[in-house]
Amino acid sequence: MKKNKTLIFLFMAPTVICLLLMYVYPVIRTVIMSFFHVESLTASTSDWSFNGLANYFKIMHNAGFITSMKNFLAIWIVGGVFTLALALLMAVILTSGIRFQGFFRAAIYLPNIVSAVALATMWVQYIFNFDYGLLNQLVTALGFEKVRWLGTDAKLWAMIAAFIYGSVGYYMLIYISGIEGIPKDLYEAATIDGASKSKQFFRITLPLLKGIVKTTITFWTINAATFYLWSKLFSPVQTEGSTIVPVVYLYDTVFGGKGVIERDAGAGAAVGVVLTLIIIAVYIVTEKLLKSSDLEY
Amino acid sequence: MKKLLSMILAVVMVLSLGAFALADDPVEINFWSMWNEGEPQAEVIAAAAEAYEAETGVHVNIEWKGRDLNTLITAALEAQEDLDLFEDDFNRIGQVDAPYTYDLTEMAEAAGYADHSYPVFNDFSIKWAGYLDSIVEQPNVGGVFYDKDAFAAAGIEAEPTTWAEFLDACAKLKEAGIDPLAQDGAYTNFSFYYQLVRHLGEEGIAELRENGGWADSEGAVAAAQEIIDLVNAGYLAEGAPDEYPASQNKIGLGLAAMVVCADYVTAEVNANTGTEVNWGLFNYPSVEGGASVAAYMGANSLAIPAYSEHAQEAFDFAIFLTTGEWGQKLADDCHQIPADPTNECTSLPGAVETLLAADAPMTWCGELNTHPAWQTMKDMFTELFEGKYADGAEFCAAMDALYE
Repeated sequence: MKKNKTLIFLFMAPTVICLLLMYVYPVIRTVIMSFFHVESLTASTSDWSFNGLANYFKIMHNAGFITSMKNFLAIWIVGGVFTLALALLMAVILTSGIRFQGFFRAAIYLPNIVSAVALATMWVQYIFNFDYGLLNQLVTALGFEKVRWLGTDAKLWAMIAAFIYGSVGYYMLIYISGIEGIPKDLYEAATIDGASKSKQFFRITLPLLKGIVKTTITFWTINAATFYLWSKLFSPVQTEGSTIVPVVYLYDTVFGGKGVIERDAGAGAAVGVVLTLIIIAVYIVTEKLLKSSDLEY
Repeated sequence: MKKLLSMILAVVMVLSLGAFALADDPVEINFWSMWNEGEPQAEVIAAAAEAYEAETGVHVNIEWKGRDLNTLITAALEAQEDLDLFEDDFNRIGQVDAPYTYDLTEMAEAAGYADHSYPVFNDFSIKWAGYLDSIVEQPNVGGVFYDKDAFAAAGIEAEPTTWAEFLDACAKLKEAGIDPLAQDGAYTNFSFYYQLVRHLGEEGIAELRENGGWADSEGAVAAAQEIIDLVNAGYLAEGAPDEYPASQNKIGLGLAAMVVCADYVTAEVNANTGTEVNWGLFNYPSVEGGASVAAYMGANSLAIPAYSEHAQEAFDFAIFLTTGEWGQKLADDCHQIPADPTNECTSLPGAVETLLAADAPMTWCGELNTHPAWQTMKDMFTELFEGKYADGAEFCAAMDALYE
């Protein structure tokens, strides 16, 4: 059949135009904006003044941004290790043929269908509450003094713990789909050859999940880089140093905050560019380090 | 016959269309509100809009944008969004949104607004924008809010005016088995700023913000030491500094007596705990040889975009809502200070007089807000209340380290 190029073009045009207008244009504008002094996000380009790399130097020397990057690293590394490890562990257990796996699968995934606002509120106002919180009830029942879980020292870790709780189910489902794609005969052959369950995990499951692991690391990096809601809910009145993350810093820089009237959309754009570069770098490094398996199954 | 019927119908249609075209369109104003549907303020505003329409025929389209309106509004004004009235912090309206706001001076004069408003807010509006650019809807005053019944139970007869009297009141409350001071982490910056203002004044703090030298400032060291002593004496409520609003709620639960905040804390505590605390307010205590006794004052206000085609109607609605009968209802139903000083403040006696007498109010953390390390500073202020510093000198040395 002869291809009708005009028709193909017409069918593709709405999608391509939407993509160019709503995705490519804002990305390009943000990158350009990061090299200009721009006070307001919607300021006309005639009001922009070229700033070179000054916006990047400004954020790199800003204590708030540095703190937010440290918090981002803690969320990315500590949160990532715990979340992905727990998710993988749960996925392996739930695909091993245990009883009530459907129930456990649903129960572990449940936090993902509850609103993050409700979930964070539960953690802040109930589980971590100093006077009647679940954790302090446990602590006092064991004969210890109450702990200030949301004090300046512990707040970041409390937030990460709550976030891990809300994230494990999502990554668990991804791992389960990967594990269920591995042919059962590989395990049967390994069992006949006398391989233990742990050997089967390290020699069969893990190598064949390389592609999935890469995907989850990239997803987690995006999650950590765009971490916003939980930070806001753990600092509901004003941004706090213990929970500030780059996107919250970006938001405050672009829009101002309580008592803050200074706005700098150019510096905010620079933060956005830095975060994007981090995600791309992690993706490239993960691709290099975890080469996809050559095995076919 | 059919042709005749068709002609008659066509004539009727044309006449109807003509009649519609000739009729005046009812005026509609678009209002973006910072409240959420269901909040007491939203309910009063919606009822006032209905009453205003019944009286004038002007329909008010209200969009409940919530608190994040302050992040949307500037971009909306720049883009000339179809908007006639909006709410925001009067500070932001005056300092950020002023280039896009309507000059209300003439309309205010014609309406006699000066007799129904607080000079302090109007003066600031004019100072920032060069003209009156907003109508106050919800004035706020800061200080020490306390439970009068707790004070009576502890035998405290007079409100403390000095730091020494304040500590004496704390001791009496503690003796009576009531935790003296509730303190949430979210407001430690405000509380410590108050203490700093007492010693240094806002100008002195602005100088420290710019050049550092906290450890060399006797006032800064003394302010930090006083907070450390307050904490060491056990005058903070158990668990303080707690996660907002856990500590302030303790006043409603009868577990604590005082909190340093702005007047909206009273409505929040009452609503959160389902009680009606017998609230009192006194100015933050002065210190010996101090630099300032200023009290915090702020407001949420209404403003009109400069490009609005219905500025007069929007202004009339703003006045309708904030003064007279509806201004009183707003004050009563929302437990707030009336925007119109000729109305009565039923939730916090004395607040109107305080605002009318004010001439140099304190800001919310002033210049410190714009320090590059402000987020870290806020955490350090919380650490001060957590008892992390041995003395004021150690705290101030840590503050100076932020400038290196």
